[in-house]
Amino acid sequence: MIWYLIRRILMLVPVFLAVSVVIFSILHFIPGDPIDNLLKVGSSPQARVAMEARYGLDKPLPVQYGIWLSKVLQGDLGTAIVARRPVAELIAQALPHSLRLGGLALLFSTVVGVGLGVIAALSRDRWPDRAIMGGVLIGSTMPSFWLGLIFMLIFSVSLGWFPVSGARGWSSLVLPVLTIGLGGTALVARITRVSMIEASGRDFVTLLHAKGLSPLRIQLRHVLRHALIPVVTILALRIGWVLGGAVTVEVVFARPGLGTLLIKSLSQHDYPVVQACLLMLAMAVMLGTLLGDILQAVMDPRVRAALA
Amino acid sequence: MTFPFRKTLLSASVSLVALLAAQAVAAQEAVFVMATNEVGAPTYNPVTATVLNTATGLIFDRLISQAADLSYHPGLAESWEEAPDGMSWTFKLKQGVSFHNGEPFNAETVKLWIDLFKATEGENTYMAEAIAEVQVVDDHTVTFVMARPEPNLLYNLSSTFMGVVEPKSFVALGENYGVTEVYGTGPFKLESFTIGQETVLVRNDDYAWGSPLAKNSGPAKVARLTFREIAEDSTAFLELKTGGVDFLLSVPADLMGEVTKEANLAVLTMPGQDVWYMPINVSKAPFDDIRVREAAAKAINQDEILSAVFGGVGAVAHTFLISALPESNVSDGAKISYDPVRANAALDEAGWAMGPDGVRMKDGQPLKVSLWTQSDSIFRRLTEVVQAQLKAVGIEAEITTFDSSMIRDQYKTGEQQLAVRSYNWDNADIVDWFFGGDRLGYPNVSMFNDPKAEELRTAAMTGAKNMAERVANFTAYHDYVLTQFPMAPIYQPVQAVAYNTERITLPEKIDAPSFGAVAFLDLEVKE
Repeated sequence: MIWYLIRRILMLVPVFLAVSVVIFSILHFIPGDPIDNLLKVGSSPQARVAMEARYGLDKPLPVQYGIWLSKVLQGDLGTAIVARRPVAELIAQALPHSLRLGGLALLFSTVVGVGLGVIAALSRDRWPDRAIMGGVLIGSTMPSFWLGLIFMLIFSVSLGWFPVSGARGWSSLVLPVLTIGLGGTALVARITRVSMIEASGRDFVTLLHAKGLSPLRIQLRHVLRHALIPVVTILALRIGWVLGGAVTVEVVFARPGLGTLLIKSLSQHDYPVVQACLLMLAMAVMLGTLLGDILQAVMDPRVRAALA
Repeated sequence: MTFPFRKTLLSASVSLVALLAAQAVAAQEAVFVMATNEVGAPTYNPVTATVLNTATGLIFDRLISQAADLSYHPGLAESWEEAPDGMSWTFKLKQGVSFHNGEPFNAETVKLWIDLFKATEGENTYMAEAIAEVQVVDDHTVTFVMARPEPNLLYNLSSTFMGVVEPKSFVALGENYGVTEVYGTGPFKLESFTIGQETVLVRNDDYAWGSPLAKNSGPAKVARLTFREIAEDSTAFLELKTGGVDFLLSVPADLMGEVTKEANLAVLTMPGQDVWYMPINVSKAPFDDIRVREAAAKAINQDEILSAVFGGVGAVAHTFLISALPESNVSDGAKISYDPVRANAALDEAGWAMGPDGVRMKDGQPLKVSLWTQSDSIFRRLTEVVQAQLKAVGIEAEITTFDSSMIRDQYKTGEQQLAVRSYNWDNADIVDWFFGGDRLGYPNVSMFNDPKAEELRTAAMTGAKNMAERVANFTAYHDYVLTQFPMAPIYQPVQAVAYNTERITLPEKIDAPSFGAVAFLDLEVKE
């Protein structure tokens, strides 16, 4: 087991390097540069050259990449060119907000998704199943920024239940969590349903029925436990996705966080900040995948046996 | 049984009292949403910042204040005098002024501040470049000894970037100045600041040195201002509509109608500092022929655009500068206006004959050009109207849309022919910025490099000893540039703010170029 862990972690190294190259180059291939946002009317063309040199933007791209990567590996994310603050500080301010929002959205989609999935599986092919699966499909296909605005119009403008935007208190979290969580709910509900239906057809279930256990007890105590293995894996994979999905929702709801920081820095071409934000999101996905694999290994005796 | 009931009653009345008290306080407060283009300003340090927001102008006073007509008035400087040769300026400072941290404001602090400003490496340094030295004459008199005449000095001194900082704390706080703490002499003090999110200011109760442009020279009437940063316009509008905020410091043209529909909301417009225009690339055929440039420029029907695209809000533009600037008073012949007869005649003269399909032809080639614009919806709408107006004189323009954050790099290729863009600036030196021969591509989108213009440009930028000369030189430079048709002026928008009339009372007149300190001193919140 321990070797499996080490192997999985080592495998992340080349992935990390590849991701870092992609992040760095994508940004530098987009037209535009941060200096345009800094230059003031009246400053001389020489000022531009001097500024490029000051931020190291005059060096060839591979050299810039090398400098950036070696600093990142030492834990130094650099200083924001436009925002003028240490990037680590900007990230440290933003990350807790995104984690809270993402964590709650994940919790919401887990609880509601599993619940709906179980109901759908128990009432397979009858109307509750169809209603849930239909509703979930619609919910998951709506773009989140649009869904966010619709929620705002219904719950804030018409009903006045929640604040329109901002990050003051728990009530301001409800709509963003709903907006992000709904997409995940659909996925979790579908997987729970399918894997419960699949598990219901297994031999051990027939045996349990033969032993005379009540069908509901069989479903909830035994079938659900089996069915949850893929659900847990999917949830771990979604850790990174939830953070990424929060990007547009944070902007729509004017909340602080990685997304707001990313979008703002992107429009200013503030390379060090954008790189750090993307790196955080990529690492969340990588760690989520790692966690998913480990959880699966721990929970599934077959995988455990294969590793032993 | 009675005891717990009484306890409940007691605690209920306590909370009721607390609630009422909270409401009394709330009446002294107002919540503003920052203008969209100011979202994300990372610091309140005017010396090092590249972007500053409206709240900065409330924390810091400047030596000079500027009125709505862009004339100069006292700020922290009570009066000033310029030497005839432009080589020195003497400022009499207001007395009894102190910074938020209790430090006095006097001649010594002005000297320390200018020294710091000049010594700080950054993008603002050039604003004080012409000042060689500050001499303390007495406690409340300073003389700026100039390295060269700088007729633009008063403009620089009235800029938010030259808000007077308290020098001791500036040095002591270093990088944190403007982020964690900040001290000016302004009508409001910084209470808290979260980058990209929220700034809370509280009233400076000692304030007694407001600009003469405001009715109120004493402490502001509102005790506490919260500035929220909301990047999404529709979110900000919904906040205003539901009473979550009281005031939007910018309203995009497309939401103006929505705001005026609401009974409790109102829009206030002030003269803007933007000009929308169509740069014409003079280096690319067919626009290397001045007659074709003239035709394209005179094909633009500014009045039609004002009413059709902007609903009549704002003003037409006939020069490159906003009308409030004296340098916009060019000769009538230089002003560029809609003239379809001349446009058609100029194209005929240039050999472009009208073809059967309404597109002009020369040597078997149709008059087809590219027209660049950026992705914002208002730009796309305007560009389509411009396209139709060009078509009316036989120029077929094909629109290419670029992402707003990337279009500058596209201009640097020099491949553009026509484009629709806008700028925001309130000084004549913007002509140098967009038409200077050493900035081809971007900012000089028109690729304009003309020897006579360069000569006039040098005179305008560095040849004047005083303000009157500077105005004359810039007017001449601006006038000449217009006659070469490197662009067509289109439109001057207004600055629009929106507010909740049940909460906010605005002064009748705001004598300032933008909604800043002068407006905030007179603004009231309804009880």
